[in-house]
Amino acid sequence: MTYKKVIYCVLPLLVLALLLPVAASAQESASCLACHSSMKGRIKTTGGNLIELNVDSEQFQASVHGALACTDCHMKFTDNPHSSPEASVPQDVLSLSSKISKKYPVDPVAAAACGKCHGEIYQKVLKSVHGRNITEKHQTDGALCVDCHGSPHYILPVKNPASKVSREQQVETCGRCHGDKQIIEKYKLEENVMDSFKESFHGRKLHLGHTKVPVCASCHNSHDIRSKNDPNSPVFGNNRLQTCGKCHKGANEKFIPAITHKRPGPIPHYTEKALIFLVLGVFTFIISHVLLEAFSDIRDAIFRKGGHE
Amino acid sequence: MSETSTTAAKGIPKEIERFDVIFRIQHVVMFTTFLLLSFTGWGLKYAQAPAGVSSWWIRVWGGAETAGIIHRVAGVTMLLDFIWHVIYLFYLFATKRMTINLKTTIIPLPKDIFDVIQNFLYFFGLSKQKARFGKFSYAQKFDYWAVFWGMFIIGFSGFALAFPMLVSHIVPSFTTAWIWELLSIMHSDEALLAIVFILFWHFYNEHLKPENFPMSWLWITGKISTEKLKHHHPIEYELLFPDEKKSRKD
Repeated sequence: MTYKKVIYCVLPLLVLALLLPVAASAQESASCLACHSSMKGRIKTTGGNLIELNVDSEQFQASVHGALACTDCHMKFTDNPHSSPEASVPQDVLSLSSKISKKYPVDPVAAAACGKCHGEIYQKVLKSVHGRNITEKHQTDGALCVDCHGSPHYILPVKNPASKVSREQQVETCGRCHGDKQIIEKYKLEENVMDSFKESFHGRKLHLGHTKVPVCASCHNSHDIRSKNDPNSPVFGNNRLQTCGKCHKGANEKFIPAITHKRPGPIPHYTEKALIFLVLGVFTFIISHVLLEAFSDIRDAIFRKGGHE
Repeated sequence: MSETSTTAAKGIPKEIERFDVIFRIQHVVMFTTFLLLSFTGWGLKYAQAPAGVSSWWIRVWGGAETAGIIHRVAGVTMLLDFIWHVIYLFYLFATKRMTINLKTTIIPLPKDIFDVIQNFLYFFGLSKQKARFGKFSYAQKFDYWAVFWGMFIIGFSGFALAFPMLVSHIVPSFTTAWIWELLSIMHSDEALLAIVFILFWHFYNEHLKPENFPMSWLWITGKISTEKLKHHHPIEYELLFPDEKKSRKD
């Protein structure tokens, strides 16, 4: 009996204890959100960058990061409001933030802070062709966390169809750059990836709601993405044997060229033209035959007594 | 071709058998699988159709996975049906149950071209005579051989697309850069041709035409009345009942 009573006393306390950090951070966030959830529009910083001021508190709290405190990422702002004692930012975050400050001029610390929890993945991204584009080539196009996952305030689980990297949305998300003419030209990217995927069996089935068909990252990987010319890329040369083999058991060297983002070569192209010509020819014949026969039947029914034999 | 009901002593039965039961079963299997393949394949061919019609249509067929299984099972069944048909033809020839006669054969002949021209002349009122046919009119020959064309082009490519690993072993290496693309183009474009063909040619000639509407029951009974035979296949009629022709002429 006493055992049960103890449980009754301890259990609520345990639950409370579990909720405590959440409650504390929620409280801290609440004081930021008090202003930022009702602020609308953008503001220009002294550096000339536009910042979105609004953070939708409901969406934020429903996101996977809803339990975090604002200052977990916005480390510069330990004090309210917005004083910035940089000393409190850990050294590794600070050094990363200086590398990516060209892309994130407003709060590079916050963009670098993802690595605090997602350290291993962030390292992969930094070594990837996307990450190196920013840290080594000093470009601002992409791609780091936010470019694919969307605002860190509203990140959803990957299984959620509304997530920007879900099966349902991933192709569109990648296509924001890989379907963008300027970016394709600038980086000499494969130019037909979006259309060729849409036209492929994979893309069609995805559109029809197939649940196992691959999306971009299924073949190209995600965080440690590499150029197709990188010998370690999963879509480089015979690496495809393994990559295609994940779904197509026994994929061999003759099978793996089946999926490509290149435009169809001359043989399929002209065969298709010839087949379209054939379809149109047959179509013309049968339609004219059917119509003329129908008209002649009507004519016979009205004007000719006996008809033919 | 074989005659049934030989009851009439004078030699003119009321009806004759046009297709035996094996041909009739093959036809039923063919059109059942054809419809299943068309319905499921159409959704995949036009997957990106506006307003998500195709996604809706594929859901009607049980979703993308199920529709894919239906398409493959129906496709293999159709191929087997086709192979059965060819083997059966060989059997009929080998046992002399079927022989080639220019008046009853389904093989296209120069006469068919002239028949087409004759009928077009008739349609335009330039001739008072319609073409006279043997056992198979050019329309029926066209219908029949279209299936052969379809089985070779769509059937073979479909088999390769459904079992790529198996087929990859017989695909020559120098073709692999374009063969898969070519196969899917062949499959998809010729399937469209087949659907359009059936929808207009076969459906008009065998279903919509006033004399056949809503359909000729021949596909179930296999029998055609001698009256109809005389009207639509006069050359075959004269071949079967030469005496009748003579007596009529007298």
